[in-house]
Amino acid sequence: MTSFTHLHVASAYSLRYGTAFPDALARRAAEHGMDALALTDRDGLYGAVKHIQACHAVGVDPIVGVDLATETRPARPGDEPARIVVLARSGGWAALCRLVTAAHHAGERGEPYVTPGMVAEHATGPDGDPRLVVLLGPRSGVGRAVAERRDEQARTLLAAWRSVVPELVVELSDLFGYHEANIATRMLALAGSMGVPAVLTNAVRYLDAAGHQVGNVLDAARKLVPLHTRHVENPTAHAYLKDGQEMARVAFKICGGDADRAGRLLARTRRVAEQCRLDPVEIVPLLDEDDPRLHLPEIGEDPVPLLRHRCEDGLIDRGMARSRDARERLAAELDIIEKKRLSGYFIAVAGITDMIRSMGIRCAIRGSGAGSLVNHLIGIGEVNPLEHGLLMERFLSEGRRGLPDIDVDVESARRLDCYRAILDRYGEARVACVSMMETYRARSALRDVGAAMGLPPHEIDVIAKAFPHVRAKQISAALSDLPELRDSGLNDRGLQNMFRLAERLDGLPRHIALHPCGVLIGNSALRDRTPVERSLLGFPMSQFDKDDVEEAGLLKLDVLGVRMQSAMAYSLKEIERVDGEKVELDAVPHDDRPTYDMIRTGRTLGCFQIESPGQRELVAKLEPRTMHDLIVDISLFRPGPVNSDMVTPYLEARHGYREPFYPHDRLKDALRETNGVVVFHEQVLKIIDVMTGKGLSFAEKMRRTLGTPAGREIVRSWFVPLARENGFDDAAVDKAWKVLDAFGGFGFCKAHAAAFALPTYQSAWLKRHHAAAFFAGVLTHEPGMYPNRVILDEARQCGVDVLPLDVNRSGREWLVERTGPVAPGGPGGPGIGEIGRGYGLRVPFSAVKGASDAEVDRMVAGRPYTSMADFWERARPSRPTAERIVEVGGFDALYGLRPGEPRWRPGELTRRDLVAQVGALDRASSTGVAASGAAVQLPMGFTEQVIPGELPEMTEVEAVEAELAILGMDVSRHVIAFHDELLDAIGVTRSKDLLKQRNGAEVLVAGVKVATQTPAVRSGQRVIFATLDDSTGPVDLTFFESVQAHTAATVFGSWLLLARGVVRRTGGRAVSLRAVRCWNLLDLDRLWRAEGIGAVRAVLNEQPASGTGVGGRPIEYGNGFRQSPYSDIGPTPGVREGRIRGHPAEPQRRLWHASSGSSGPPPGR
Amino acid sequence: MSRLYGDPIEVWVRDGQPAQFVWRDRLYAVRQVQDHWVVAREWWKTHDADPGERRFWRLEAAAGRDVGTYELRFDTASGGWLLLRAWD
Repeated sequence: MTSFTHLHVASAYSLRYGTAFPDALARRAAEHGMDALALTDRDGLYGAVKHIQACHAVGVDPIVGVDLATETRPARPGDEPARIVVLARSGGWAALCRLVTAAHHAGERGEPYVTPGMVAEHATGPDGDPRLVVLLGPRSGVGRAVAERRDEQARTLLAAWRSVVPELVVELSDLFGYHEANIATRMLALAGSMGVPAVLTNAVRYLDAAGHQVGNVLDAARKLVPLHTRHVENPTAHAYLKDGQEMARVAFKICGGDADRAGRLLARTRRVAEQCRLDPVEIVPLLDEDDPRLHLPEIGEDPVPLLRHRCEDGLIDRGMARSRDARERLAAELDIIEKKRLSGYFIAVAGITDMIRSMGIRCAIRGSGAGSLVNHLIGIGEVNPLEHGLLMERFLSEGRRGLPDIDVDVESARRLDCYRAILDRYGEARVACVSMMETYRARSALRDVGAAMGLPPHEIDVIAKAFPHVRAKQISAALSDLPELRDSGLNDRGLQNMFRLAERLDGLPRHIALHPCGVLIGNSALRDRTPVERSLLGFPMSQFDKDDVEEAGLLKLDVLGVRMQSAMAYSLKEIERVDGEKVELDAVPHDDRPTYDMIRTGRTLGCFQIESPGQRELVAKLEPRTMHDLIVDISLFRPGPVNSDMVTPYLEARHGYREPFYPHDRLKDALRETNGVVVFHEQVLKIIDVMTGKGLSFAEKMRRTLGTPAGREIVRSWFVPLARENGFDDAAVDKAWKVLDAFGGFGFCKAHAAAFALPTYQSAWLKRHHAAAFFAGVLTHEPGMYPNRVILDEARQCGVDVLPLDVNRSGREWLVERTGPVAPGGPGGPGIGEIGRGYGLRVPFSAVKGASDAEVDRMVAGRPYTSMADFWERARPSRPTAERIVEVGGFDALYGLRPGEPRWRPGELTRRDLVAQVGALDRASSTGVAASGAAVQLPMGFTEQVIPGELPEMTEVEAVEAELAILGMDVSRHVIAFHDELLDAIGVTRSKDLLKQRNGAEVLVAGVKVATQTPAVRSGQRVIFATLDDSTGPVDLTFFESVQAHTAATVFGSWLLLARGVVRRTGGRAVSLRAVRCWNLLDLDRLWRAEGIGAVRAVLNEQPASGTGVGGRPIEYGNGFRQSPYSDIGPTPGVREGRIRGHPAEPQRRLWHASSGSSGPPPGR
Repeated sequence: MSRLYGDPIEVWVRDGQPAQFVWRDRLYAVRQVQDHWVVAREWWKTHDADPGERRFWRLEAAAGRDVGTYELRFDTASGGWLLLRAWD
């Protein structure tokens, strides 16, 4: 018996519908002995490339189609729209892509649909040759009419389709639901009577029957309803990938036991499958490793001589025309580029970066592309690879499979402007953005399952937020491993079903989104190769993700929005506005002593890449003095170098505690720049090249293989004999191999670090020399890991005045104001506490919670104001916004209010009086005025008059509380100041005094929590790093697993902390603490007020209850590095947000940070 | 007219289909399967990880010379058969 072919199969890429991934489906089909398999996802070709790759891997012929709606609104509310399946015939891929694009163009975003006319337009080629096959199944209009016994309508509909689509078949399926076989039998009869062929499918959406419950949950999640039989699409578990025998039984049943008819049905199904087999290499060219047919951009003329000319010009412009090194390097690079036929790509990218810069947008190259001299010569990047010893092979090499990827950083606030300009220039037919699939993780899975099971929304919220950002399949493990969840009461039996199902949703695609940076650059045939839909913001977006795009042979450029670039651009504008000084940031010399002095003391809060607690510790130890030191610093602070233990030997050799170690004299050249420690990918390439003499392209291929233990064995089997042949003795080969083995494929691309080091230095330079403007940029664009209150506090500690909101002086964003003379520059300039002296930062209108953009625009435009009533009328704020502005002192200057002063007497005007007046104004304008705008003027006389002193003024504490609630930061005073008395009573050490403590001393510290991180560390523990801010500087605390049983919940759950820790000196000017205990400062404060200092001391002296620490087996890497499964995922947020323990007095806005890193794509603002 | 029963019965299965059953001390031979469908249990209402499904068969069967139509139900969770209705 010949095998059956499934023609209707939904994978997980049918969003919130399918449950199985393409590779699993393809493997199962191969196990069933099937020689072809279709993928027909709902609404798009999101999984098509993965399906074709998976089929290719298991030797099954791929068939691709799509399952599309044929109506915008279902006939009856609550129903899903009618659907058809459209398969591409062999050679019909382009038609299918264009049909899917048209379907998305016709429908609302997320609700594509087709009409018979649209399908007809794409169904045949120019010569009338059929390109598509249309399947009308039980869910089509025809099928529904048959099910409801509207036979005449069914005939009419089928006839209508037949008249426009040449290749039409009726699709039968029987999933064993009530009456389904009967409907199939009648559809078979209808097809027979109309002369339309019929095929059998299983409308697959599960890999096996076990997928049924997940499918039910997805149905409920998609329809936003609780689970109920009436909402479930498949009443049975039979929509799985059945084998040929099972399908034959289904055919037999539908045909009423007539073996001949069943045989004809199966034969017809096979014939359609035959016609639809696709050539995998045509759609996924990279499956052909030797000669992939790429989709290249059009540039109007022959790109090869054009690129050569551009590079020649570049040599002259960059002053390298006489350099032999540069010429040789250029010839080698061009050789590879031309062999790969990529000249046009480089020309196109250079055109785009030129255009971005001409729009006045800061633009910098990032990543391995910085290693290419061609990129430097044609103006894509400013980094000269020859100056830093960067290698082209890391970016593009002969042996490298896949396409080069040029990444550029632009100002985040203008990234979309760049996209629009690119689209305008090349046209939507040639350009599209790349998409990405957002998948289910623990919290989103719990939310959808909770809703499906009908749990109340607030309970779902509490449960979901209790979990850290782990994968959904880690839910049960997290519940038993993490001390802060173990005691939370979530382990209740009633919730187990929910957790079990949420785990099953793990990794399923949930919705599609615009990739943060990828832009496809192609030619006019782009839409024959990929379907395109609209993103939320209206950009054309490929349905392929970044991996699919590369496999499909499409070239892309990554345009990343980097907030630090926006922040620096803003700073430069403020410098010019306030001081009239035009700073050329790119021309600033790279050897500024005061800048490096500031970095070396670890005062890098706000700076690009080096502001995290760990980096502050590292820069203090490393003491950078040059750009190269910064490149090394950035490269060392990565999981790879940290876990391969490169940091300690590097620091020891750098500071002369030990001799640099070189495995062999001839490797000195490669390793000298890092004192014998392998830090960069480029060094690995050089080592392999020197030892084997096989060239850098070969070395790059080997480096890529080093990533896995199996790969290292392979590399060893090549490397050792080659190095011996090359004349190295056994000992040298052995030593060199040990270095490579330890390096284990980790490390960092130096080109990438060099590209990062430039903005790092520039941001530090701005902070040191233009502190106020720098902080204004950072506060406005929020580029880093810290919330604004921390940045503001750092500004304060650099001598910058923080100026409260003032309706007459505040702007849309943070503004710099002159407040007095700058600090005198002694030898070495002013101290770090003085660098911002003479300048102030004005809180902007946009910082007011709830103020809309339109309100802010009016408030800025209407300045100056003469009174509250004047402001109310011309700025027209909403009542809550106006009240908030009063509460944070926006009218203090106008009315001469000084809240918090003890001298207030009844009869003096207060903020509370003004809040009352806002209410009066609101009532006046809503009663008298709504009808006509002119009438606004009438109640002026009444409202102008503020009756002073009826209500008491806000206390200082209330003022700060209002600031925290409304602005998210403490402007007038530091919050810790309210606890000074208690902290002094129990002898807390302040941050500025920590340096005076001896190593090993046990001290008490306190402060506002500003950051918690759980990065990967060498021991494989989950280590919590917390930073407190006590108004004199940061305090860095490390919580090891041994103390987490009694501290984790407090660290994550409180925002004012008191901790006991052991002093650890980490550098000349740096100290960190190993935490032993910690307490919630607010609890202690209450205790102190209620029962006095004795009770507080008693609590501090209690022994902690013993408990178990963090569970979970560490993840082991091949090089012996162990990592906690809970590292790098941040704290458990619910606990962090105080929801489980409940501190209602805490401000609701995000006051501290909990993500990692300061680069990368910005979250939506 | 059919009559409702719900009696536990014993069934012999061949090729995934009922072939014979005993009901009220009489042996019935299955002559033809008229319909077969499945209903999945509403698993979300229970604490069981998999409450299984119920398989229904509508059969023409004969006990001796008496021919009738019978509806049988198999519960995968309990493993038990019921005779639900009879048209005889």
